Amino acid sequence: MHATETWIFRILVLGFAAAFAAQVWTRARLVLRARNNIHVRDDETGRRLLRFVAEVVFQSRTIAERPAVGIAHLGVYWGFTAFALYTGVEFLAGLGIADFTGARWFHLYALALVPFSVAVMLGISGLLVRRAIVRPAALGDHVSGESVLIGFFILTLMITFLLAFQWETGLAARVNWWIHAMVILGFLVLIPDSKHFHLVLSPLTVYLRSPSLATVPNLDFEQEQVGLETVADVERKQVLDAFTCVECGRCQVNCPAHATGKLLNPKQLILQNEEALLAGALDRKLADVFDAKVLWQCTTCGACEAQCPVGVEHLPLIIGARRGLASNGEAPDALAAVYNHLERRGNIWGLGADLRQKFVQSAGVEIFDAARHEYLVWLGCAGAFEADFQKSLRSLFDILRARGVRFGVLAKERCTGDVAKRTGNEYLFQELARANIEDFSAAGVTKIITSCPHCLRTMGVDYREFGFTAEVVHSATLVAELTRTMAAPGAGHVTFHDPCYLGRYAGVTEEPRELLARFGATVHEPGRHGANPFCCGAGGGLLFEEHEEGRRISQERLEQLHGTGAPTIVTSCPFCSIMLKGAQASANTQVEFVDLISFVDGRMKSAAPAATPRP
Amino acid sequence: MILVIAEQQDGTLNKSSWETIAAAQQTGGPVKVAVVGAATAAAAAALAAADVAEVLRVEAPVLSPYTLDGFVSALGQVVAAERPGDVYLPHTYQTRDFAPALAVHLGRALVTDCVATRQADGRRLFVRPVFQGRLLADVACDGQALATFQIGAVRADTVVRGAVPAPVRTVEVAVDAGAIRQKPEAPFREAKQAVDLTQAERIVAVGRGIKELEKVALAQQLAAAMGAEVGASRPICDAGWLPMDRQIGSSGQTVAPKLYLALGISGAIQHLVGMKGARTIVAINKDPEAPIFEVADYGVVGDLFEIVPAVIKELQG
Repeated sequence: MHATETWIFRILVLGFAAAFAAQVWTRARLVLRARNNIHVRDDETGRRLLRFVAEVVFQSRTIAERPAVGIAHLGVYWGFTAFALYTGVEFLAGLGIADFTGARWFHLYALALVPFSVAVMLGISGLLVRRAIVRPAALGDHVSGESVLIGFFILTLMITFLLAFQWETGLAARVNWWIHAMVILGFLVLIPDSKHFHLVLSPLTVYLRSPSLATVPNLDFEQEQVGLETVADVERKQVLDAFTCVECGRCQVNCPAHATGKLLNPKQLILQNEEALLAGALDRKLADVFDAKVLWQCTTCGACEAQCPVGVEHLPLIIGARRGLASNGEAPDALAAVYNHLERRGNIWGLGADLRQKFVQSAGVEIFDAARHEYLVWLGCAGAFEADFQKSLRSLFDILRARGVRFGVLAKERCTGDVAKRTGNEYLFQELARANIEDFSAAGVTKIITSCPHCLRTMGVDYREFGFTAEVVHSATLVAELTRTMAAPGAGHVTFHDPCYLGRYAGVTEEPRELLARFGATVHEPGRHGANPFCCGAGGGLLFEEHEEGRRISQERLEQLHGTGAPTIVTSCPFCSIMLKGAQASANTQVEFVDLISFVDGRMKSAAPAATPRP
Repeated sequence: MILVIAEQQDGTLNKSSWETIAAAQQTGGPVKVAVVGAATAAAAAALAAADVAEVLRVEAPVLSPYTLDGFVSALGQVVAAERPGDVYLPHTYQTRDFAPALAVHLGRALVTDCVATRQADGRRLFVRPVFQGRLLADVACDGQALATFQIGAVRADTVVRGAVPAPVRTVEVAVDAGAIRQKPEAPFREAKQAVDLTQAERIVAVGRGIKELEKVALAQQLAAAMGAEVGASRPICDAGWLPMDRQIGSSGQTVAPKLYLALGISGAIQHLVGMKGARTIVAINKDPEAPIFEVADYGVVGDLFEIVPAVIKELQG
């Protein structure tokens, strides 16, 4: 390489690197000034590393939902990684620092890169066609010119790489080299201000993502924390998330609010956050950045966060902003009534404790006594007051008795605080949680069964932060275990609606299906099921906000379930059941509903004489 | 002497003023009534119909619109001049706003949300609910008190009317407009619900069991025959068979009628929480398992299309 050429290259590299660094610095400053909410516990490292390997190295989430696109992306990603050393060596030579380009190992390495370059070319061509021609809705209304340009950059890099084998010396070789180098520099400066910043940040955000879905740590009232009010309050991980978002739209596609024509679009939320941060609008209210209405349209089903391939956590942002509103008394009216009920009566309906007592007495359940009982059965607000769900609990009691499980219930209960937590009324949540935990420890409770997935999540995950250690299990899990040796044939065709807080949050997807199959039902799955179900519309406090913009989420889900052709819908969450039955009343479809535990209980009873315990 | 502070707005008396006068009359002692505002002639004339010793017009231009400082100043002067025993007020929003400040100003105790008074051991006891209405507490005060009366606790129609109108006297008060800290803006009125089911004494509520739009008329006929309002559960309003303002439940109105007749309502909990305050609940439903029967005082398992026409016929017959 000519000395002048080297000098020109040095100046160019300096210039482009400076432009890159300046853009990164703008963002780094915003990340560093944000309150640190990233806490990586030592005992989580192993799990986080495994997740890193799965999601970054093998791109499991990228592939899971869109296999073809995901594999194309995997090709490009691996290609990039493989090329890192090649680019490094070429740049060292170009800058006149050290020249290994003539080394034999480098030649062999370059040869080994050929299949990678083919993978990249195939991958990026596929992605370019999809982006520019197929244009799926998830990618937005208009074609991103920048993304297309970068696609062509990548193609050019691969072509120039291959041409370098053809032209090893001479003018053509130099021109080819320069094109390759300049495209890399051009790409470099485009990275920070585009979705391609995920190249840099996503390994980090995936690693830093909380181990459990929708982790929103307790507010510390001693520190006068009130939640997120302005852009300045957005915490460090969510600032990183804003710059990492790759705009793929998996969150948007999976969001039940978006799917039913509401304003909420989780992808938009992240991008609006990014825009506000970069505009330096730190004192802007989040309710104005996002539109407060949007914040209250989220069911907290978690589909956005669970699908995100780059580790973006939406719920801390949404619930954090709700906290900011709730702290200022700006929660919607429907919730004000619920908060009132929770404060005065300790349950979401505002009903009197006498009704619960009546149920406990009529069901003949004992009051929990640690000396005699192994399990505490937690009724929850629905179990205490909702007639339909009480049938499910009666079934649970019968199964537990039949299997010899010793259990009792508390003389008095108050709501776990799920609605308060998800809607940002943190003070109320913590009050309820502490009081419940005190009751549990006073009663000597070590094992809890609940049939409500929301109680399961709240007590089983959120209460851990208060040092609560009792085992909390959903009835489906326990009943599956207790009836392991039992079966009954011929229960016909059903479809199972996975509750978000059971399937997605708790990962309990196999047990309900195993129970249904073992007790003779043929399960017909709707498109969205298992760990990625479509919400019923009740979560996040929306059970109480019955006036929905667009179509009802419950209506949409009922249609999906109805579409399986199964005459029976099996539910395993009181709120899903309320929502879907409500939708059925409006739609006038004639599907039968049965609760999972009642189904098992019914099958056990009807098959009792004939039930053949397996050896 | 008991002084009752009546409440008026633009010359119209708040109905609860009559209830408070009735509560004062029931003590057996002499009663005076004061009405405060910028133009109180009409309200005072109306109040004079009650069997009371005197009606006092507490009038000054600065007393309209209502302000806390204005009322405390004016009523402070009235109480100082008239030297009444206890002062009774209806437990309205306005009272809730100024009564605590007035009590502090006068150095008197304030007993809120009373439902009755009684005499024991020569003392006046104020009866007020505690623990969310589970218990009634008797409150005795040292010295003279201010007491507010829960709306609806005493029946307005038990007011004793005088044979001749009571004398009306204007009380001079000097209120310094500059000392009023509150600067009220034009009153904001929320879009009024076209239908106010919360005040209805009887409600016929329709659920999905009514099956089709045409059959809603059946419920309307029954409501007309009973002198009741028509309400509905969410699916009916969702379908547009009845307007949204007739919806009862957690996202509709919360009602507490004396009689609630549920036709073909299964009783989803969101509906139940909106009508659990009804005194008597009658449910007609085909499904004996319907949750509505859990809360119903009277349940009829049967076909509403057979039962309702028969009931209408009976009522009209």
